[in-house]
Amino acid sequence: MEEKLVKAIVDIVGEDHFTRNIIDLVSYACDASEHCNRPVCAVFTETTEQVADLMKLANREDIPVTPRGAGTGLSGMAVPIRGGIILDLSRMNKILKISIEDRLAVVQPGVIYADLEKALTPEGFFFPPDPASGKVSTLGGNVATNAGGLKGAKYGTTRDYVLGLQVVLPDGRIMRTGSKAMKSVSGYDLTRLFVGSEGTLGVVTEITFKINPKPTKTSTALATFDNLEDVGKAINQIMHSGIIPSALEILGRETLAAINQNTDLNLPEVDAMLLVETDGYTQEETAYQIEKVIRIFEANHPQEVKQAKTEAEVKDLWAARKSAYAVLSRIENSSVLEDVTVPMTHITELLKGIQDISRKHDIQIATFGHAGDGNLHPQILYDGYDPIQVEKKENAIKDLFELAIGLDGTLTGEHGIGLSKAPFMTLEHDPVAMNVMRTLKRTFDPNNILNPGKMALEG
Amino acid sequence: MEAKYDFEKKFRKQILQCSRCGFCQAVCPVYGATLRPGLNARGKMLLLKEVMDGNLPLDDQLTESLFQCTTCASCFENCPSGVQVPDIIKQARKDMVNVGSCHPAFEGMHKVLQKHTNIYAEDEPEDFERERNQKAAYVYFIGCVGSYREDEATLETLELLDKLRVEFTLIDEVCCSGVLEDVGYEIIPNLARKNMDLIFDTGASTVITGCPYCFRTFNNKPQYSEMKEKGVKVVHITQFLQDFDFSVRTDKRVTYHDPCDLGRHCGIYEEPRNTIRKIASDFVEMPDNRENALCCGAGGGVRGAFAKNSIAMARRRLEQAEEVGAEIVLTECNSCVHNLGNAKLRKQKFKIYNTTQFINQLMEEEND
Repeated sequence: MEEKLVKAIVDIVGEDHFTRNIIDLVSYACDASEHCNRPVCAVFTETTEQVADLMKLANREDIPVTPRGAGTGLSGMAVPIRGGIILDLSRMNKILKISIEDRLAVVQPGVIYADLEKALTPEGFFFPPDPASGKVSTLGGNVATNAGGLKGAKYGTTRDYVLGLQVVLPDGRIMRTGSKAMKSVSGYDLTRLFVGSEGTLGVVTEITFKINPKPTKTSTALATFDNLEDVGKAINQIMHSGIIPSALEILGRETLAAINQNTDLNLPEVDAMLLVETDGYTQEETAYQIEKVIRIFEANHPQEVKQAKTEAEVKDLWAARKSAYAVLSRIENSSVLEDVTVPMTHITELLKGIQDISRKHDIQIATFGHAGDGNLHPQILYDGYDPIQVEKKENAIKDLFELAIGLDGTLTGEHGIGLSKAPFMTLEHDPVAMNVMRTLKRTFDPNNILNPGKMALEG
Repeated sequence: MEAKYDFEKKFRKQILQCSRCGFCQAVCPVYGATLRPGLNARGKMLLLKEVMDGNLPLDDQLTESLFQCTTCASCFENCPSGVQVPDIIKQARKDMVNVGSCHPAFEGMHKVLQKHTNIYAEDEPEDFERERNQKAAYVYFIGCVGSYREDEATLETLELLDKLRVEFTLIDEVCCSGVLEDVGYEIIPNLARKNMDLIFDTGASTVITGCPYCFRTFNNKPQYSEMKEKGVKVVHITQFLQDFDFSVRTDKRVTYHDPCDLGRHCGIYEEPRNTIRKIASDFVEMPDNRENALCCGAGGGVRGAFAKNSIAMARRRLEQAEEVGAEIVLTECNSCVHNLGNAKLRKQKFKIYNTTQFINQLMEEEND
């Protein structure tokens, strides 16, 4: 990068907020995916105006800019694949307003999910999506990826809570979308266009979230099955029953084994375990719901059905579920975590198909995920230094995506396209939809400087 | 490809096990103070992976990250993949020293300990106006910070031991030099020899340490294994004190800061709390406590090498003490007392003490 450009950037953000230090560049090269590429430099902005000035400069000088929150994404969307500038938004980390009466919170993009949670808890409120990385992920990142989480089945994903945004466009213009009102049908829904756009259309610099009162009571139960058909039936009957569990999670055999290897929980190593939580405001309410779910479990040939009786039991079970990704990551030096999602009636077919793919390519695939919204996490474990295994992994991924699309599903329920799934976009989206997406990208970012190389938008 | 460095030989699998989830970022005190992901555990593991893959030389450029770690072990405690980050960092620092890349502050500390008997190069040993090297049941081993920087606290600790009628002696102690293992070097055998000989000469069966780091060094490092072989037990003063009753109480609101060396590294969480509950009717926990305690920022040589960030870390900890309305912040480590004390703002009205020092003051007030 020419020194005059460096000077221009430093003039915008200040010397302390600019880095070309190799220590920083190496860490900004990666997120939680398998992709890495070093940027030329990184900046830490503190104001919307700085972001706007930076974008104007980058647009004029044709420098790629990749916005970044906490870098916990699993698809490479924060990896600066064309080099250029990393725009680290983690220092824009103020909660600007919480209005319980209006049921909203206004935040800067660098606020950590858990910090908003901490601020809302004393009020008895919460921001429900609950991504597994919530202790560290930023809300800006949650918006850019439309993050989901364990509570998706009942509470939806980030998209369902964004009322409005302030966005800096790739040419540096600043725009507001949406409204602080609970309802608004005024004009195109630009807010929704930006949620999940993976930082390819604009840089979000302020978010207005809808917040919910937090249910105070929960009940938790589990059931184990040695037949995937029975699991599928149980899930379908729960969907039919009118009960909406606040979480309905599934853990496959390999996942249960990996959890057992790393904890003292001694979970039964069966084909699948379903873990369910119901929530509400009275114990009677949650108990009524969980009993109904338990009856469904019992009608579908379970190995075991158990309701958690103590706080400690509940805590252990959810800790086990949340540890799945990590304990599986310990098995090999590399792993890829997918998030294919299908309509709930196809879950059994998806689970069986994943087993077939694992056998066909002779590669380990462990599965867990959100049965309540059809979103599974097959995690492929492989040796990243062995070219044969890397090839098997790639072939398995291709088959997995074809399977999910064939079951009326989607490539990604919550992690996003980024770099990992970009080659498969045309598998899911027809040529017209691809053309519309690419036209939108060109409209917002004609010079293709904002997070270029992602989502197959350049075809 | 043949491993070039010892860190790779010993920890290659561990480093690759880092799934880059970034959970360490939420708890790393260095990240908390700087908001630079290149300084948290994930950033450090990525640097070492780049070195292993031949994409980056192990040289001075990496000092600012690899030597800026308080070895507080929060990352390890919270790492879903179980990566033993502090051990990896310590080994990587040794490799860096071997290739001639070391932070000048650590190089200086090593030089000082080759010539002097303590990390501060103080030539006049503090004698606390006591006879040393006596025959006694217990040796009280103070440590460098307690001897030369927090001597007031030490004086009061010694007074408390007198009040409790503990038959103890001080020795002409020298630095245990355990800290050198954290900053790229090794324990100096002569210093270990001198400490052990002086301890053995007293005939004591137990060494009480005031410093959690000396406690870890004596108990865990092979250079001091002779102590265990000869049946000399080493306890930290917090373990020793829990069996006593003090018959004093304070109404002030008291909180406790877990030193990393005592808490996460040794699992000692309840002993200090048991003692504090005996003397304080209004004991409150800070939001992050026990295995989740925020580091004071002093450890791993960071106070000496990166003073500004070290103080910023201590300030974050003190904000939590302020949040719970504490009037007294107690801890069990002179290094924590020192760093927290340096970071305290004038508007923060609470006092920071070692538990021993505070109990002694309560007993003094009672006597007045």
